Amino acid sequence: MMKLDAAILARTQFAFTVSFHIIFPTISIGLASFLAIMEGLWLKTRDAIYLEIYRFWLNIFAMAFGVGVVTGLVLSFEFGLGFARFAQIAGPAIGPLIAYEVLTSFFLEAGFLGIMLFGFDRVGPRLHFAATCLVATGTLFSASWILAANSWMQTPTGAVYQDGHMVVTSWLHVIVNPSWLYRLPHMISAAYLTASFLVAGVGAHYLLRAKHLAFARKSVALGTAFASVLIAGQIFIGDMLYGTMLKHQPAKMQAAEGFWEKESASPAPYYWIIVPDQKNQRNRFAWGTPYLGSIWLTHSLHGREEGLKNTPTNLQPIMGMTFYGFRIMYCLAIVMFGVGGSSVWLRWKGRLFESRWFLRTLVLMTPSGIVATLAGWYLAETGRQPWVIYGILKTVDAISPVPAKALLSTLIGFVCIYMVFMAAFLFFTLRLIRRGPQQLTLNAEASGSLKNALRPHLLDKRVFEGR
Amino acid sequence: MDLPLLSACFAAFAITLYVLLDGFDLGVGVLLLFQKSDVARNHMIDSITPTWDGNETWLVMAGITLFTAFPIAYGIIMPAFYIPIIVMLLSLGLRGVSFEFRVQMKKLKHRWDFVFGVASLIASLMQGLIVGGLLQGVQIEGQRFSGHVTDVFHTLPLVTSVALVFGYAVLGSGWLIFKANIVIQKFARGCIRVASIRLTVLFCVGCAYAASVQPGVHSAWIVHAIPLSAILILFILVGGGVATGTSFGVSVLPFTFGLLLFLLGISGLSLIFFPNIIPFRMSLWDAASSPASQRFLLTGASLVTPMVLAYSAFAYWVFRGRTPEKGWEQ
Repeated sequence: MMKLDAAILARTQFAFTVSFHIIFPTISIGLASFLAIMEGLWLKTRDAIYLEIYRFWLNIFAMAFGVGVVTGLVLSFEFGLGFARFAQIAGPAIGPLIAYEVLTSFFLEAGFLGIMLFGFDRVGPRLHFAATCLVATGTLFSASWILAANSWMQTPTGAVYQDGHMVVTSWLHVIVNPSWLYRLPHMISAAYLTASFLVAGVGAHYLLRAKHLAFARKSVALGTAFASVLIAGQIFIGDMLYGTMLKHQPAKMQAAEGFWEKESASPAPYYWIIVPDQKNQRNRFAWGTPYLGSIWLTHSLHGREEGLKNTPTNLQPIMGMTFYGFRIMYCLAIVMFGVGGSSVWLRWKGRLFESRWFLRTLVLMTPSGIVATLAGWYLAETGRQPWVIYGILKTVDAISPVPAKALLSTLIGFVCIYMVFMAAFLFFTLRLIRRGPQQLTLNAEASGSLKNALRPHLLDKRVFEGR
Repeated sequence: MDLPLLSACFAAFAITLYVLLDGFDLGVGVLLLFQKSDVARNHMIDSITPTWDGNETWLVMAGITLFTAFPIAYGIIMPAFYIPIIVMLLSLGLRGVSFEFRVQMKKLKHRWDFVFGVASLIASLMQGLIVGGLLQGVQIEGQRFSGHVTDVFHTLPLVTSVALVFGYAVLGSGWLIFKANIVIQKFARGCIRVASIRLTVLFCVGCAYAASVQPGVHSAWIVHAIPLSAILILFILVGGGVATGTSFGVSVLPFTFGLLLFLLGISGLSLIFFPNIIPFRMSLWDAASSPASQRFLLTGASLVTPMVLAYSAFAYWVFRGRTPEKGWEQ
């Protein structure tokens, strides 16, 4: 039997809980802004279709938000549970950022989510719109603080290591650290892309089945329009982030491109599939497009790329994880770009709602934003290894004195209970999609509970009573 | 200005609010296990529906305050209470979900009520274990937890965890007497008698036992003899008063007395622990982060907390009075 390693278990547990968590904020950040736009459009045009779209996505937003809250609660304790040394060293620097996230996002949530979910009849459309906008702002604040904390771990500035913990010299530099400026827009536009593909995918699903046509057309039109603009911007932001990370964390980008040699062959291929052999510092198998590596990475026909051997073996990330995190994200971005381009073409030709292959592609692409976001986070987090705070603290030195058996049992507990959450979320979301948009009223019913999130039954009851 | 002391006050404030507020709805959850009627269980849950999740916010606030202002202590306490904290978090999550599922899946409602009750019970037990574990003392070496994660499963923590369940049951029954219909009030009166007798007895046992196993508690009794004795006597008087039912004339009194019992308990613990943040081992100031971090945290907290408090108070005001028979949604 394999010997249990506490460090690996602690990391697996954190990776599992944080991966599970990030899915839900990604959806809710994206949908919150989408909802604000829909309600704004409705107020401006008074076209009922926008209200219908608003109603439909409000419920899915609320559920995603609810699961995000429950799983986020765990994370605020997990820094110490699994990584006590990290908490002691980094607490003074990133603790306040997370405290501000708690304070600002709780304040906005507590004040306005209730109105957004339940208050339409009580406060009137304008105030309700204000509440929607404030909740959307709250999700963006929340993302900003969390990205500031995580970016500080990637590119720590504004604090010095003194007697076993970080002493902050400049809050401005802690928050506005070099990678935050690119990673924040990158994450937010990832969340927006996620929402766009969700919306377009559900619309395409209805169009293929010739149901809820007006709603479906509008969803496809809006979703693809947002996606086309966003993906172009996202590739641009991603490229700038690539340059920044190349400067600050060369090892991450070396691993992400799949080259081992100090200098790659010239011209360099662009690898799509590799089977890395970390121990012998080589690829057992590599398949790529000739010349493309030189062209993309060095912007010349014969340029050479630096490989992972430039980084000492004990400071190397695991190439396989970083490489595939990057490739999955990047390939999805290319497909998204293709879908965006096709949508513009089809729109021009007036066949956006008729072309079945395109609609099928949209249905397939429904979860693409979520997958790409997760893959991007794997690139960011595995590529930073072996460091937890880049250049300051190694992950193995950060873990808690908790025995492997305890870690394994709690990991199993997390997996079981989170599966229940996921099953519930999917069950209720798919049921909402199956039942379609017209059966919903604007309000979830009032009970004052913020986690009404997980209460689609209220809507169901209305459906039965109201018809 | 003594920043660590201010941060500690803020953390204590958040913990106290959490215990008082989430205490009564965890208590109502535990009492569900003893209520056989479906209709009655619905009414009990309706009484906590509007406010229960806002109450949990204070737990996060407390945790993050500790992380920010006392990272050394956070990095010792979390691994020391690894098992109870994770089991508590998972129970709270499951409780939140069963809260919603019980209504969603009508056929399995009683099963979900059971899950809700058990999750409330387990979360309460775990919190009690943590309190007892702190009283018992945490082994440290330098800035590291040097004991074993199972150290917390000893007699004293077990006593405090059962005591805390009875304490929450007192709060929960008090809340039901205050907020629920006549039928439930009768049930809750029965519960509060049973729970408050056991709570008072276990509190005294816990006091005596803690002093015998932990020298730190013993010496605190010598240093703070008068205030601690006063707290103990008041606790017995109030607990006994609730048990004999003298307070039942006015419906809000049992709940108020329940809150008072908790405030007494918390002040006793604070007297024993202060000025340490890891009881008997590490002081606030030794565990504190640098002044820059404390100042940044306290600025945010002092600006935003009043708004959070105002909102919470408003939510309680909106849902004032007796719980409607058919829930708040009518």
